Amino acid sequence: MKSLIALMVILPILCGLLLNLLHKKDRTIKILALTVAIILPIIPLIASYGAYYFGGYPPIAENPTIAEYLPAYITRSYLVKFHPAITYIFNSAQRIFIFILGIVAFLAIFTSLNEVKKPSGVYSFLMFMATAAVTAIVLADDIFNLYVFFEIAAISQAGIILSSNIKGSYKMALRYLFLGGVAAPMLLLGVALLLGAIGNVNISDMIFAMRNGLIDQGNPIFLTAAGLIIFGWLYGSGLPPFHTIKSGLYSKALPHAASLIQAFSVFTLVALGIIILRLFYYIPVVRWAIIIFSIAGMALGISMAIMQTDFKRLIGFLAVGELGYIGIGLGLGTTMSITAGLFQAVNEALVTACLFLGFGTILYQTGISEIDKLGGLLKYRPGVAGLMILAGFIMAGIPPFNVFQSKLMLIESAISAGFPELAIIMILLSIVTFMTFMKAYYSIYLKPEPRGLEVKAERIPSSTIFSMIILLVICTILGILPQLATSQFGSIIHGLL
Amino acid sequence: MIPVQLASFFTAAALILIGIIGVFFIDNLIKKVIALSFISDGVNLFLVTLGYKPGGIVYIYMPGMSSSWFAQNASYPLPFALVLTSIVIGASTLAVMLAIIIILYHRHGSLSSKILED
Repeated sequence: MKSLIALMVILPILCGLLLNLLHKKDRTIKILALTVAIILPIIPLIASYGAYYFGGYPPIAENPTIAEYLPAYITRSYLVKFHPAITYIFNSAQRIFIFILGIVAFLAIFTSLNEVKKPSGVYSFLMFMATAAVTAIVLADDIFNLYVFFEIAAISQAGIILSSNIKGSYKMALRYLFLGGVAAPMLLLGVALLLGAIGNVNISDMIFAMRNGLIDQGNPIFLTAAGLIIFGWLYGSGLPPFHTIKSGLYSKALPHAASLIQAFSVFTLVALGIIILRLFYYIPVVRWAIIIFSIAGMALGISMAIMQTDFKRLIGFLAVGELGYIGIGLGLGTTMSITAGLFQAVNEALVTACLFLGFGTILYQTGISEIDKLGGLLKYRPGVAGLMILAGFIMAGIPPFNVFQSKLMLIESAISAGFPELAIIMILLSIVTFMTFMKAYYSIYLKPEPRGLEVKAERIPSSTIFSMIILLVICTILGILPQLATSQFGSIIHGLL
Repeated sequence: MIPVQLASFFTAAALILIGIIGVFFIDNLIKKVIALSFISDGVNLFLVTLGYKPGGIVYIYMPGMSSSWFAQNASYPLPFALVLTSIVIGASTLAVMLAIIIILYHRHGSLSSKILED
């Protein structure tokens, strides 16, 4: 069942390409896209753990037949343990990340297909391509392969924004690509420096070479490479200085697309963050850089959210702010903090997806995203308003939901790691997040309805409400049984520490 | 490190620096795209230079070659494989950017980066 590991990436790519070819064949597009979207979260559940070697080339040590034909200076050296092919690693942590990504992708694709009578094959293609790219980023044990899919994810996300046809979407996509045009080559330069220093791009091989004294860990090239890869990580995840462009990207996407794109940001942050820690854990400044950028992301994201008058921008900045919690968990570098950070990533992907879908319901009803022009929506669809407040509570960290569990773990881990200041910052920013959300919620749902506001409550698609309920149910289950997720991260943390 | 390799590294650094300056300080969108291609070309040149081996042969194992001679004389193929992929990705990104610029030019009648401001 190890071939299923590759299928997690290959299937959405193949489906995407087929959808592109089937453009304008509406019924076929709907059936194919929905079938593959349903399969996406199922594959990680049935796939076996292990490594998948593309081309069928395992390390020589695992392949005695090849070893017979090789000279002794190779078979008696460390080279026999090196990976000659592109390798994907699939463990329990990857299982839960790809499962959650699959769930969010399925709900986003399901919602998009139900919203329109004539689905666009190209649009679905982009959603599948981006999902495949982020899945590959999570699985990759090869830093160049990671760079390739990092670029594919960026182009696909820009394509999703272009397809949204929202005013200003072209400008936003171009700005995102311009910044990506700087950040991605910097990431590649970091990869090139590592290649020059170690002679390989496989992450496990690099770590093996570092830990066994095959190369000098004190070489300043590693610090430079770390800086460049961190720069790429900031772009991919949307932490400062890229927080404005990332939140802008969310605001120019359709609600279901925004819910998917934010999940891409979360899992890119986690996957690249883990790789940075695996490679450079021994350099303290790297972990400090992760913590500092994460705090900046939290502070800037949440403070800019307060100033927003457009709810799409508001939720975009809140989503960026929440990313900082994940970074702090990774940066603290203890078993508990990394577990908490990874758990926060899973929770963040779920609840923010729900909030984006929820705010989409306001757009369906009114077509307006300016908070000041809205009001009194509670009476039209109280059920939807109830789902929204529940999602807001979850994001802010109200017990007994999943974000409460992960934020509590983060606060405890910060205190036990000797950084009570970080715990105070996290608590304060959680309170500000809650206040910002409640202020927007009051203005949209509770404040008296402004004159002339035209509300068409029947326009909310049932698929959106269904998706919100599914996401909230998963959030509640993870809140009551957090060990369902936290017990899965042991493999990654063991490898890190 | 031989002079050719050193010169290539300096050229790669110059291309990257010129590209970064161009992206942030030039107003024209097309010129910004050209500056971006300078950055990726600089990084590609850096990778090619890493794989350069004085007097090295192309890494294709031909009949009649002994494996030890091939291993000693062939250039390191990995950087070239990476550059090939990087060029393809870079070209597709540039194509998307240029397509967006054409649409924006038709809408706004300008190639100034000021049109990107809200």
